[in-house]
Amino acid sequence: MDFIKKLLSSIAGFLMKVGKFLDFRDKDDVTEAAERGETPKVDKSKAKKRGFQSLFMGFGQIRNGQWYKGYPLMFVFFAFLIAEIATSTYIYAPAEIANHPAEDTLYFFRDYGGIFTRGVWGFFTLGAVTTYSVYRGQDIRARGGIYDWAAGDNSRALLGQGIIVLVLLAFLAGLWYFSVKDAYRTRLKIEAGIAVERFKDWIQRVWDEFFAYIIIIPAVALITLFTLIPFIFSFLVAFTNYTGRITLGTQLIQWHGFTTFANVFGGMEGWGTFFRRVFLWTVFYAIMSSFTVYVLGFIQAMVIESKYVIGKKVWRLIMILPWAVPGLISLMIFNNVFADSQGLMNQVLADLDITQDVKYILQRIGLVGQQAALPREDLTGNILWFSHSGNAYLARAIIIMVNLWMGAPYFMLLITGVLGTIPFSLYEAADIDGASSFQKFRFVTFPWVVRATAPVIITTFTFNFNNFGAIYFLTGGGPGYPRAEIPQTLRGIAPGQTDILISWIYKLSFQSTVNHYNLAAVYSILIFLLIGTFAVWNLARLKSFWEED
Amino acid sequence: MSQEIQEPKPTAAQQFEDKFFRPFRIVISSILKYAWLILWVMISLAPITWMVSAAFSPVRRLNRVSVIPNPFEWSLVNYREIFTYRSSTGQMFPDYVEAFMRTLFIAGFSTILTVILSSLVGFAFTRYRFAGKKKVLLTMMVLQMFPSFMGMIALFLLFQQFGWLNSPSRMALIYVAGAIPYNTFIVRGFMRNIPKTLDEAAAIDGATNLQVMLKIIVPLATPIMGFVAVTAFMAPWMDYILPSILMPQNEVVAQWLFNINDPESQPHEPMQFMAGALFLAVPIMLVQIYMQRYVVYGLTQGAEKG
Repeated sequence: MDFIKKLLSSIAGFLMKVGKFLDFRDKDDVTEAAERGETPKVDKSKAKKRGFQSLFMGFGQIRNGQWYKGYPLMFVFFAFLIAEIATSTYIYAPAEIANHPAEDTLYFFRDYGGIFTRGVWGFFTLGAVTTYSVYRGQDIRARGGIYDWAAGDNSRALLGQGIIVLVLLAFLAGLWYFSVKDAYRTRLKIEAGIAVERFKDWIQRVWDEFFAYIIIIPAVALITLFTLIPFIFSFLVAFTNYTGRITLGTQLIQWHGFTTFANVFGGMEGWGTFFRRVFLWTVFYAIMSSFTVYVLGFIQAMVIESKYVIGKKVWRLIMILPWAVPGLISLMIFNNVFADSQGLMNQVLADLDITQDVKYILQRIGLVGQQAALPREDLTGNILWFSHSGNAYLARAIIIMVNLWMGAPYFMLLITGVLGTIPFSLYEAADIDGASSFQKFRFVTFPWVVRATAPVIITTFTFNFNNFGAIYFLTGGGPGYPRAEIPQTLRGIAPGQTDILISWIYKLSFQSTVNHYNLAAVYSILIFLLIGTFAVWNLARLKSFWEED
Repeated sequence: MSQEIQEPKPTAAQQFEDKFFRPFRIVISSILKYAWLILWVMISLAPITWMVSAAFSPVRRLNRVSVIPNPFEWSLVNYREIFTYRSSTGQMFPDYVEAFMRTLFIAGFSTILTVILSSLVGFAFTRYRFAGKKKVLLTMMVLQMFPSFMGMIALFLLFQQFGWLNSPSRMALIYVAGAIPYNTFIVRGFMRNIPKTLDEAAAIDGATNLQVMLKIIVPLATPIMGFVAVTAFMAPWMDYILPSILMPQNEVVAQWLFNINDPESQPHEPMQFMAGALFLAVPIMLVQIYMQRYVVYGLTQGAEKG
């Protein structure tokens, strides 16, 4: 410990000497003035000059006598500096560049840079060397061994590292800014003759005044690492050409601006059409599922709460069971109900011997496009709920009904609760005015409930808009579009007919023949803009959010 | 001047209606109401009874299982199977039990951290004024709105980079980071209703920030912390996508359920899926039914202040 202290103080002493050397006006006039018992005049320009002369992190603090601030700041700076130097190979640069003068400027940071410079370089260029290039006289394919440094660049890793490095550098820059500003302020105080805080006082003051900041640090750090950095990464992927066609380490990802956005909006044949289709179905699904759930929940609440219904609690308990079953399990159960040949529904229809009748009725109302027993199709004549491309409307109707089954109880609970808050005097007043029971519902109950539940309706809409599970675990996005309808540009990445945007994004990212990460990122950004705006608007309407605490 | 409201004298037709028609209407409407309720009870219960029936059925094909459980023909063969099946011989516990314990660990770990961290943030947000407070809260809430799948690619990379793949405790941290914003919002709504005069009185008596927090606010906020704990504990049980990407080799229960029900993976055993699902669903349902009182509470939090 002593050694470290000595080392630090000698470094500080050295730096102070350097500072004195740089700071060519004598510093003692302030002290002298204080000794003479005068209050020295504050000269802001001098303080400013001194502040800017201590641009070195932590140095200003040490000169101001605040070692407790100076050393930690310097420590942070040196940690960054040492990390940079220790991971770099600058020392080899002169000799090697002399041997290969041609390429030296291009890849300087790639070859010799430390973690930070290399990170920034990688972020902006996304790599430079591919496996099939010959670089500095060496075949890049020679991976491993002593030529490892010459392996092809992994653009994805470079992008990720670049983001982390940039976040760290942003942190350093913030700290640096704070350091200079703080040194300047303290200097001003010193020039005004105000004593510099002692360490104990400072710690006490920080603990008191910055307690709020201190206790949110862990949460902010976690969110930065696991929410913010992934968010930045996926946001940036939208502006690259990153798809599954790029073999990492062999080919490079490149920045290509708004090309993917342009492709979605008409640049690529067929993409616009399919985006519009999926988007419209997503909006329709979100609206319909929220609406049906709300209406049925309202009806259930009104029926159970109405006069002459006994055992209200028992009815309610049974009715909320679907809501209590975990959604994933319900969806997978319904997936089994509507399975093709092993499904319960087909079995029941077959047992009752009404498969063909039901199919005929569904065909007549336009839900089913599946023809009766074509040779290549299921020979038993089963209804292919989620797998026949003609049955898209049927699959969509089932999705909304399953969602109704799962979601209505929640609104029943909610509206039952709200019904209890309606003042009885309103109904008495309505009675005096001679209102019929329908009028009471129309002018008292309904407006009250809708007003009270409006924020929940909006939240439900945004939730359903991104309700990945309701699609993925139930239909898996199926049935697919007929092969003839899918344009060449969408082969392998086409959505199913019940896919909503979020489940298409999942397929694009993880389940396609050629994953289109950049397209998925573009859709994510579009959803984010839409739903984010909606959510902020919804939040902003809540007075409680903006209220000062 | 006070004026009595004059009841109009009922006419003969009204008298007749009151006497005969009204009871008739009540009977009809009651019959309709009960018919409606019974219909919906059947719709509500059918998939659940089917799950119960399948879980205890000796039948091997799922579509042969009746919707109503048959009390005379039941067996524990599915449960015997899931509580003994080990995919590799060296395993100490059966797959299902192992997945269960792993999920339990993730849920417990993330619950503890979520409660602590979101209480801290909620406390900071209600008790202090500081620069950028609203911005931090709004940023947290808005970041939530970004579809998480793209972020998962980045998370996968991050985990790969640090060698964290297949680590339950590291993945639990993601749940914590995801749960903080919403729970902070909830905790904040509760804590702001704790009168500030309490803190001020304590501060006059010389209590420090830490003492105010630990001795005054935390004891008063235990109900909401309990609520946060329950919601945080429930979240990991039914999350499939994140573990399937970050823990491909260490299954959690959601992965177990998905894989055993997936026709494309081996073993594909829908009957065992039903048994495993029922075993998990029962405790979760009990908690949910207990938690229903908070549905209305959550609304009043959001709406009545609005």
